[in-house]
This record gives sequence, structure tokens and C-alpha cells, in this order.
Amino acid sequence: MSAGDETTVADADSEELLALREAVRDFLAARSDEAAVREVMIGERGYDEKVWSQMAEQLGLQSLVLPEAHGGDDAGFVALSVVLEEMGRALLPAPFFSSVVLAATALVAAGDDEAAGRLLPGIAAGTTLATLAAPGPDGAWHTGEGALAVAASPADGGGLVLDGTAGIVLDGATADEILLVVAAPEGPTLVSVPGDASGLTRTALRTLDPTRRFASLTLAQTPATVIGQPGAAGPVLAQVLDVATAALAAEQVGGARACLETATAYAKDRVQFGRQIGSFQAVKHKLADMLARVQLADAAAREAAAVLDGADPEGDPGVASAVAHIVASEAYMSVAAENIQVHGGIGFTWEHPAHLYFRRAKSSQLLFGGPNAYHERLLARVGI
Amino acid sequence: MPIELDDFITEVRGFLDAHATRRTGGAGDVQWGVGEDRITYFSTEAPEVEAKAVAVAKAWQRTRYENGFGWLTGPTDFGGRGLTTVHELVYDSLEAEYDVPDTGVLAVVGLGMIGPTILAHGQEKIKQRYLPAMYGGDVIACQLFSEPAAGSDLASVETKAVREGDEWVLNGQKVWTSVAHHAQLGLALCRTDPDRPKHRGITAFLVDLSLPGVDIRPLRQMSGGADFNEVFLTDVHVPDDHRLGEVNDGWRVALTTLMNERATVGGETGGPAGRAVSLPFLRELLRANGRLDDPATRRELASLYAGQAAAEYMNRQALRKLRAGVQPGPEASVSKLLYAQNLTRAAHFAADVVGPKLIADTGEWGTFSWTELLLSTPALRILGGTEEIMKNILAERVLGLPKEPGIDTKSPFRELRRSARSSA
Repeated sequence: MSAGDETTVADADSEELLALREAVRDFLAARSDEAAVREVMIGERGYDEKVWSQMAEQLGLQSLVLPEAHGGDDAGFVALSVVLEEMGRALLPAPFFSSVVLAATALVAAGDDEAAGRLLPGIAAGTTLATLAAPGPDGAWHTGEGALAVAASPADGGGLVLDGTAGIVLDGATADEILLVVAAPEGPTLVSVPGDASGLTRTALRTLDPTRRFASLTLAQTPATVIGQPGAAGPVLAQVLDVATAALAAEQVGGARACLETATAYAKDRVQFGRQIGSFQAVKHKLADMLARVQLADAAAREAAAVLDGADPEGDPGVASAVAHIVASEAYMSVAAENIQVHGGIGFTWEHPAHLYFRRAKSSQLLFGGPNAYHERLLARVGI
Repeated sequence: MPIELDDFITEVRGFLDAHATRRTGGAGDVQWGVGEDRITYFSTEAPEVEAKAVAVAKAWQRTRYENGFGWLTGPTDFGGRGLTTVHELVYDSLEAEYDVPDTGVLAVVGLGMIGPTILAHGQEKIKQRYLPAMYGGDVIACQLFSEPAAGSDLASVETKAVREGDEWVLNGQKVWTSVAHHAQLGLALCRTDPDRPKHRGITAFLVDLSLPGVDIRPLRQMSGGADFNEVFLTDVHVPDDHRLGEVNDGWRVALTTLMNERATVGGETGGPAGRAVSLPFLRELLRANGRLDDPATRRELASLYAGQAAAEYMNRQALRKLRAGVQPGPEASVSKLLYAQNLTRAAHFAADVVGPKLIADTGEWGTFSWTELLLSTPALRILGGTEEIMKNILAERVLGLPKEPGIDTKSPFRELRRSARSSA
């Protein structure tokens, strides 16, 4: 583990964050090692409920970044990044990103005290699983083009009902509460729907990355509760994307670093032509390129988290997050592929974990629209 | 006691206001078609124009020095100010707000690399003689390191130094010596014992370039100008007190220089070439060429900018660490790799946007002018340690991968040359 440890130790993390990193790493090594991940990934729910509740009770991970007023610890995004890096490194299959990052951020950003009071304490305690989707025309994350896939209309007895299909919803099959951005007469509106709402059909989907689950949700006259003001979801969604892409970048850096470390260790261990393959420049330079990509992604993810915490007054969270999303997505994908290449045939087997990182890398890169969307998103953030 | 930062800032502002003009307008205000459109990395000026620029650079360094800003981190015994790296960073960022002459010809090699080497390895009276003169803007120093047969494999230098009483007699040829044609002083690595292993038979000398037997010949680069040189040394007599470090311990001296070199090259972000990777400038380039709505061009622009911005974040974080007292380790080589990659990519991006107007000079503003940067980019992957050497450093010293087997660091240097020749 020389590679990652050296580069991690060399950074300017405070003692407190180093302790947090170590606690999460130790916990995941003990409770969610590769064997455990493989067991969970073929299971029905897609995560281990016991590990999930221990994460909340023993480490308080779900509450870490949430506001104090709603049962959280307000520890900040840099602390959240440390946790997500470790989760990404261990490929932890858990509804953390959907519930704590996506849904909780939307609830905070919407500024709706009633909804926040109703849902955030449960999310912080790990007892409520929530998710958020903003389905566009193809059912995946809405990238600004075309209409939202779910429409809201006034119900006969007052309130709203939803119709449409949210095609690709993160942890949509297991969430207790589903937040959706839907097309209302007033404009894009954030609403919530309980997982057992009438007219809601949830279908778990086959996924590229078995450690991350998605479901298709069909809504037919499904009653929903408005969160915040009708028509006000645009700015909420923009804020959620800034946080979510920065958070994802941290997770991607963790995964990418794991690939780099595995490949480095293998290059030292594997002997061909009578020497360690890592002594051949073709392999050595590949690993140096991987290191450069990981370091760059790490710098971008750190910057984005620091800017979200308000630590860099010059920084713009929209720009820093968009940069981090591009750089970390491309670094992870490239490093995950090169990890397989360094391993050769063994890296292409089901038994080797390299493919799990490859799957996670591509799945993460495309989660919010992929290269088609993220380049334009950055240009929009800098006004071009 | 170092001066308080707030007081220091006031002092710097006072100095700059008195001696320089503050720039108007931020980086965001690009007026396409107005002013200079050249984007240079290396000089392509005629020798007399360049000589004038060197004189201006020396004069500005002298002004800095006379006002106490010539060598902020240097010891006061040798004309330094005895302040910290933080003070230096603060000074640099404040000075960047003013229009001042580019002092790269003195600073990059001489003050950035040779100065610290003399300070670390020179005798007292040599430090006294050269350091105030260098930081005072009178003496430009250069490296005399690479040779025709010792490039990436620098420890294979063959230039001979033979002791004669209190002097050493130097014979050999150096090459790729940036700024030697403007310099008064060189730091030469010479073979003093070919019967020892290659790293252990080298000695470092300071060479007064006005001595008889020193012949400096500028080399014209592919970009058109001549920033680097061949230097021929024929029976050059160097006094023993100009030796840096012990006899046969010159490799250690060279490492001091090289460490400072990689830190300098990786840290560059400004300069005229900085404009090529500035977003407002690239936006105007796209607008002027009608490509602002072209999806493929937009995508490349975003990708280019993301890489550039992340590299800036990385440098900023390294600076923050430096301020907190953490010295950059071998991972700083990443920064140098990225700098070369980003500037190269930007030059080709701009060339693609400009299109055929880059292949022939139509006189249109902001088109053919990109050729200068484009033709400079190949050097970025070579100078200060090639990309391949940088990757070896990263892989071996950061990741801990094994060294290339078969590289002989044990046998006498004399035998290495013989066996390489006979097997060729």
C-alpha cells in the first residue's frame, strides 16, 4: 500500500480528518471487504442493512454533513469528501450517495422547514432512505434539454398527482421516500412521494455496476407533496448538482487511487522475462501516467469540497464542481482500464476486483449525463 | 525577527507604486484585435532587441535589490533579506499586479537554480563574490551540465577537469545551455576521476565565462530564436576556490540544482504563454473564428479548460502546503508533466480553430501568431528533464517501482564507455 499511503500522508489534511479517514477505512475493511461486497452485490436489496445501521450508530456517517438543526453534525464537505473517498475505495454498496448526498442536499437547498423536519432526522439517523431523481426525456438525469419526464397536475381533492416514468432512479427500488423534480404548471417543482405511494410501480433494473442499484419508477395518478415553492426547483437542482458532482468526484478519487495501488503492487510482484514487470519502462510509465491522473483528480476534488465549505473566497462552487466532475470522471475511467491492462489476463477475470472498479467508473461518469452533458455544464458555469 | 506580513505588504506596495505602473483591467477584459498578438514561449527577437531586453531585466533586478526585494529568502550576509518563502510568494503575487520587465533571463536559471547551489556548496568568499552580484542584477549565471553524449544520462559527463597546482584545467563541450550567451558565470559538471563509478567521479566548478578558452555559440532552435547554446571549453584555467563541494562529490551539487529546476519549471503559469490557456482569450478566439457554437470545438474547449483549472488547483494546493512548511516532494514532477501537456494541447487547439490561416501569414490579427507557441511546445516535454525521465522519477520515487536493471552505477566510468561502444 506504499503508493496511496505516501500520497495521502503528504497532504495537508488536519489530524481530525486523518482520524476520520482511518476510522472509516478500518470500519470498511472489517465490515465491507471484497468478499462482503461480492455477497451484497448479488443480493436483492443491494446493500447490507446491518452495515448501514452500524455506519450510523457507530460512526455517525449519515449525519456527518447534515445541518445541526435536523440531527446532523455540520462537519462540512471536506469531511464528507474524506468519507466518500473511502467508500469509493472500498466500493461500498450502500444508499449513502442517494440518501445523504442527493436527497438531503435537495431538502436543505429547498429551504422547506416542514419537509426538512419530516425527513432529515431520519436520513441523518440512517433510518429513512431517501433518493432524488430529476428525470429528463430519456428517464435519466435531466441535462437541461427537453421536458421533464414526470408531470404534476392538480388532484381532484386538492394537492398534486404525478404521471410519467422516471426511468433510471438511483436506489429507487429501496428508498422510503422519493424526491422528484417534475413538470408542474408553475415550472420545475420538487416533490416527494413515499415508496409505497398508490399508483407507483418500482422495477429494479439490471445494472452495469452491481454495487450501485437503479430502478425504473412508473407513476400513475400518484399523490405527491410539494417541497419548497412550486416552480422553484431550478436553482435547487443547480445547487444539488454542485454538491453531488463534487461528492461524486471524491468517491471517484477513492476508487481511482485503489486502482493505482493495486496496479502498482502487482507491477512489483509479477515477474516476467526474469524481472518485475514494474521495472519495464512501458509499464512504469503507464503507472506514472495513472499517478498523474489520480493526483490531478484529487486536487480538483479537494478544491471543489473546499470551495463548497467556503474555504476559498476566490472559488466558485459551480466552476470547481464542474471541473472536478470532468477531471475525476475521466481519471477514474482511464485508471480503471489501465489497472486491468497492467494485470493482463488475470485482470479480465470475474474473480479479480478490477472489473468492479471499471464498472463503477463508467457508471459514475455517466450518472449525471456523462461527457455529452458535463462539458457543456462547465461552459455554462463560466458563461460561455 | 522577520517583518510582520502586513507591514511587509505595505512596504512592497510602496516600492511598487514608486517604481512601476499598476496594470489596468483584469484577465477577463480581452480586446480581440487590439495590441500585441504574439504568443511566445521562447524568444524569437533579433539579437540586438534581445540584448536591450536583457539590459532592462538587469536594471529592474538591480532596482529590486537596492530596495531590499532582490533576494527575499537569502541570508543577510550575502545580500539577502533573511525572510521566508511566504514573503517571497506575497511579493510575487503583488508584483504580478504591476507592469514590470520580465526578469526570466536572470531568474529562471541563475537566481532560481545556480544561486541556491552556490549558497549550499560554495566557499565563504565565493558566496561573497557572486551571490550579491547575481541577486543585484549584475551577473547572469547558467548551467554547464548537458553534453552531446550526456543528456538524460547526465552523470555520464565527459568534460575533463585536471588539477594543476591551485587550478583546474577544463576541456570539453557542453550543450543546451540556456542563456549562456547572456551569462557571465557558469556551473560546470566535469569528470575528475574516470576510474570511479560515474556518479562518484564528477566535480562541480563555477566558471567565469570571460576566461580564455570559453567559446559560446548560440544554437538556433526550431522555433527560430536562439535561447540556448553550445559551450566549448578549451584549456580553461579555473581556480580551485571556484570548486563547489568536494572533489568527486559534484553529483550531490548537481542534485541541488536539479531539484530547484523541477520546482521552477512546474510552477510556471503566467508569462506571455499563460494567455494561451486563459479562458477569456480562448473564448474570443472561438468567437473571432465563428466556432463558439460548434459542439466539437466547445467540448474540446471545456476539456482543455478543466485540465488547466485542475492543474492550477494543484499548484495552489502545493503553494498552501509550502506556506505551511511542507517542502514539495518528487510528486511535484506531476506538475511539470501537466504544464507541458496543457500548453501543448492549448497550442494545437488554437491551431485547429484558426485553421488554414495558421499555415500562411494573411496578416490577420491572432491567427499566424499562434505559430510561435506551437513551434515552442516540443521543447516543453524535453527541457528540465524529459517527460520520460519525469515518469521514471514518479514511478520509482513516489510509487516505489524497481529501477531499470542493467543500468551500471558500480563499474568505473571508463569501462562503461568502452563496453557501450564495443556492444554498439
